[in-house]
Amino acid sequence: MQQMKHDIKYIARILTLTGLIISYSHNIAAQEFELSDYKMGFKLSTKKNVDNSRTLEVLYQATNKKDRKDRIPIVEALIEFYASYQDSLVLLGGIKTNNNGIAEYIVPASKAIYVNEEGFQTFTAKFAGSEGLKRQKKSVEVKDLFLELNLAEEDSIKTVYLEAFLKDSIGEKVYVEDVDLVFSVGGMLSRMPIEDGTIEDGRYEFEMPDDIPGDLNGDFKLYAFIDDHDEYGTVLQMSESNWGVFDDIQVPEKNKLWTDAAPIWMYIVLTILLVGAWANYVYAVVKLWRIKKIGM
Amino acid sequence: MKNKNTEKKDNNRRKFLQLGLLSGVSAIAGTTLVSNLSQDTEEEKKAVSGEMTKVLTPDGKLVEIPVESLNHYPEAHVSTKEARKGIPNRKFVMVIDLAKCKNARKCVEACQKGHNLDYNEEFMKVQLIQDNEQASPYWFPKPCFHCEEPPCVTVCPTGATFKREDNIVLIDNERCIGCKFCVTSCPYSARQFNWGHKDKFDNKEQAYSPETQLPASEGTVMKCDFCPDLLRAGELPYCAKSCPMGVIYFGDKNEDIVTNGEETVRFSELINDRGGYRHLEHLGTKPNVYYLPAVNRQFPLERGFNIDEDVIERYKKVPYVQDLKKKGKL
Amino acid sequence: MSEIVKKRVIDKKFVTILESTPNSSKIWIASLVLIILVGLYAFILQVLHGHEVTGMRDNVVWGVYIINFIFFVGISYSGAFISGILHFFDTPWKNAVSRIVEIITVLSLIIGPIFILLCIGRLDRLHYLFLYPRIQSPITWDIIAIMTDLVGCFIYLYLTFIPDFAILRDDEKLDVAPWRKKVYRFLAMNYQDTPEQKAILKKITRTMSAMIIAMAIVAYTVLAWIFSLTLQPGWNSSIFAPYFIIAGLYSGVGVIIICMFAVRKFFKLDLYIRKVHFIGAGVILLVLAMLYGYFTFSEYFPRWFSHKKNDVQLLDTLFSTYFWEFILANYIGVLVPVMILFFKRFRTINFITFAAVIAVLGLWLNRYLIVIPTLETPYLPIQDTRPEFIHYTATWIEWALSAAGIASFCLFFTLLVRFVPIIPVSELVESAQKSKIKVDQKRK
Repeated sequence: MQQMKHDIKYIARILTLTGLIISYSHNIAAQEFELSDYKMGFKLSTKKNVDNSRTLEVLYQATNKKDRKDRIPIVEALIEFYASYQDSLVLLGGIKTNNNGIAEYIVPASKAIYVNEEGFQTFTAKFAGSEGLKRQKKSVEVKDLFLELNLAEEDSIKTVYLEAFLKDSIGEKVYVEDVDLVFSVGGMLSRMPIEDGTIEDGRYEFEMPDDIPGDLNGDFKLYAFIDDHDEYGTVLQMSESNWGVFDDIQVPEKNKLWTDAAPIWMYIVLTILLVGAWANYVYAVVKLWRIKKIGM
Repeated sequence: MKNKNTEKKDNNRRKFLQLGLLSGVSAIAGTTLVSNLSQDTEEEKKAVSGEMTKVLTPDGKLVEIPVESLNHYPEAHVSTKEARKGIPNRKFVMVIDLAKCKNARKCVEACQKGHNLDYNEEFMKVQLIQDNEQASPYWFPKPCFHCEEPPCVTVCPTGATFKREDNIVLIDNERCIGCKFCVTSCPYSARQFNWGHKDKFDNKEQAYSPETQLPASEGTVMKCDFCPDLLRAGELPYCAKSCPMGVIYFGDKNEDIVTNGEETVRFSELINDRGGYRHLEHLGTKPNVYYLPAVNRQFPLERGFNIDEDVIERYKKVPYVQDLKKKGKL
Repeated sequence: MSEIVKKRVIDKKFVTILESTPNSSKIWIASLVLIILVGLYAFILQVLHGHEVTGMRDNVVWGVYIINFIFFVGISYSGAFISGILHFFDTPWKNAVSRIVEIITVLSLIIGPIFILLCIGRLDRLHYLFLYPRIQSPITWDIIAIMTDLVGCFIYLYLTFIPDFAILRDDEKLDVAPWRKKVYRFLAMNYQDTPEQKAILKKITRTMSAMIIAMAIVAYTVLAWIFSLTLQPGWNSSIFAPYFIIAGLYSGVGVIIICMFAVRKFFKLDLYIRKVHFIGAGVILLVLAMLYGYFTFSEYFPRWFSHKKNDVQLLDTLFSTYFWEFILANYIGVLVPVMILFFKRFRTINFITFAAVIAVLGLWLNRYLIVIPTLETPYLPIQDTRPEFIHYTATWIEWALSAAGIASFCLFFTLLVRFVPIIPVSELVESAQKSKIKVDQKRK
């Protein structure tokens, strides 16, 4: 009898659960949300990384037409990334959007991507579409820019040398012009710009300021960053440097009022006072014992 | 005829199956859907931090999922012993730009959300300070100053509050006996006390760490902690992250870099160029929060009164507010 | 032979006190127990619901409990100081009051720290004070000082009891419960009043009395430092420790006079506690009142004169919100006793006791005015809308526990009086012997 009761309860729970899912999902859809109020945004961007790999990033979210701040990401949507080869598309890989609506695919540095006559690589991202959502497709054309950083000290002047170039069909360097970039020093939480300029004739050099602390050993990371250039996209390069002038004033405090260990004199004074007081008590008790002995 | 043992096993199996089914469901639809069901799911419900956000499924359906990163930096969770040492080779410092503050109170709210605080519990307070009758009043965001020579640490009889090597002053809720000496000795009124029991104290989902101060506990003290759990994950504290004006800069004195999320500048330059100072310097506590004076303000002060009535009530003693009331502007 | 006769005669007065408990006393004890039970109920409520049930909130985090703590501990230290001086300098009429003073000392030193325990948020972690102590903290110093003082006062009190226990043990006619006789025997430590024992006892009592004087000053200084070593306006004063000691002495003498009055009246000890004792105590009270007034003036006048911003804020609070308390504590609390005690006409037992009552009440309010207004005027203004966070109002739980504290004090005092003679009979015997010797010598 008990067994049956349990079984019935169990089945009832499963049924309620299923029923609720069906009704609830309808419920949400029916209440305040109308998909037609939202405009679908599908953005593809590219970033060249420090190790010369390239990140393709898709941001897929729905923006409320009336309230721009109301944005809802689309999650778990399969985005396919393609590279163009002549006139066709070659599938690179498929990534699902995460909880923020972002799907990232990293093209390894070793992967050879077709370059068209004008020198552009073309990447495409596609969303196949579903019952509720239209299909999406975006492409981006980018020239594969390489940055090389060199830090050299000449005549005791610390100089940073940058080379920016494309590679032609035989792998030779083709220097570029008129590219804005920013040099920054890596901090714990962000990067601090120290120099910005424009690349002329594929090169840039500047004198490193000599008061950058760096970390404990004087190490810091120097970044060169091109932000969303028309032709080259976003490019980042990094070099480690040992030119930090860290001032070693790291002696941890000891024996202060606010440290674990107290100032030494406190221990001494306390001991003297306590011993002075309790010695008298012990003396009194000992003598009391003597009184008892006498009276026995 | 089943005996009691097998019956128990069957119940456990059923419970397991139920939960298994539920977790499959929640992957698609989220745990709010099952909140009305059997009591087994109560535990699951409690396990979620409570904050939900809307997302669209690939089919275009709107669902709610739990917000991931709310207090959830498990990789940054350290033991109490580690928490007493601190993040090595850092000396954290904060700079607050009074010229930009317009009392948006986003810092207050983000901190409350991040530390699971109630409406009236504020680690970051925004005060309206008017130094004298003629002076111009300014909005004054006030976290704990994490002083170099903290009077609160000096007077704690059990060592429940301590100063770490990375400048942060933390509280170990498991050592605090609630004597409130630290509350009375802080000249900046930065500390708060948990006067009674609250349900949120029972949330044992994440193990306690002084770096998160979660869960808080009754009869102990709490205050702004510079969010070391976020720092370990390479993120700015909640207040700095959420200020729409970029008022709060945070960084490492050793690196000499502070950032407000958008701008990253040299700490020493910022202080020197803008005349950074510390509040009540003469008391000798040596705070680690610097203020940039309210000159060349970005906003008129009145913009800051676009807030709840009861919050405006707080400032009723400030001469400027009394003036505004007289003129009928409030 | 006559000695033994004399002993018995003297004992009779006290025998009645020790042997019987009249109905009036029983009613008194019962009502005290009732108050204590109410206090216990309040305590249980506080343990169950947390400190929310008190009036303390985030700005005024210390309230009536710590005020009672300072007050009781002040009485205790004052008692220790006075009793130490009485004994050390062998003052002539110390017999009348010394035991009263010593009992007050020990009792208030037990009750005071209980109040501070009520103020602690996590009583389940008290042992952390001993496991992880930080000696930079004034609270740690205070714990050490109170413990040392408590042990010292206990030992000292006990030493003064010993000859009396011996007399009680030896008195076969004493009609008390057998368990009490056993206790007397055990506690008498085989004291037979031999010259050697007498000499030893005298020596260690004298040593302890000197220690007590020193402990009193050091320990109450440490307690004053809990306030004056912080940065808060109104507390960060250099004369806080001497101020506390004087104020403590003032309240202590007041309580002693009240107890003398009560004991004299209810146990009909008019012969032993005489007007001259009251006048002596009254003169001391007069001196202390003037010193207390002087110190209070020294605290507030320079603040008003140099009008620093935070001092002005504090004084404004004192003279607006706390106006009547200030007048009562620092004007009436000083002037009325001074008036009464200054003029010979007014120096009657009743008036002197009345002056003592005013002094004690004024002192309690003075403690209130030291703790609360400073917490209500911090450096950074309190910008809050919740009234309980702006202004402190004690709840019934705090008052109930205060009343229970006072009731426990009275209760244990009453019980002790029934257990041990309130006037040291051994001293009476001695002084009788001494005067007999003098008379004999005169005759010769």
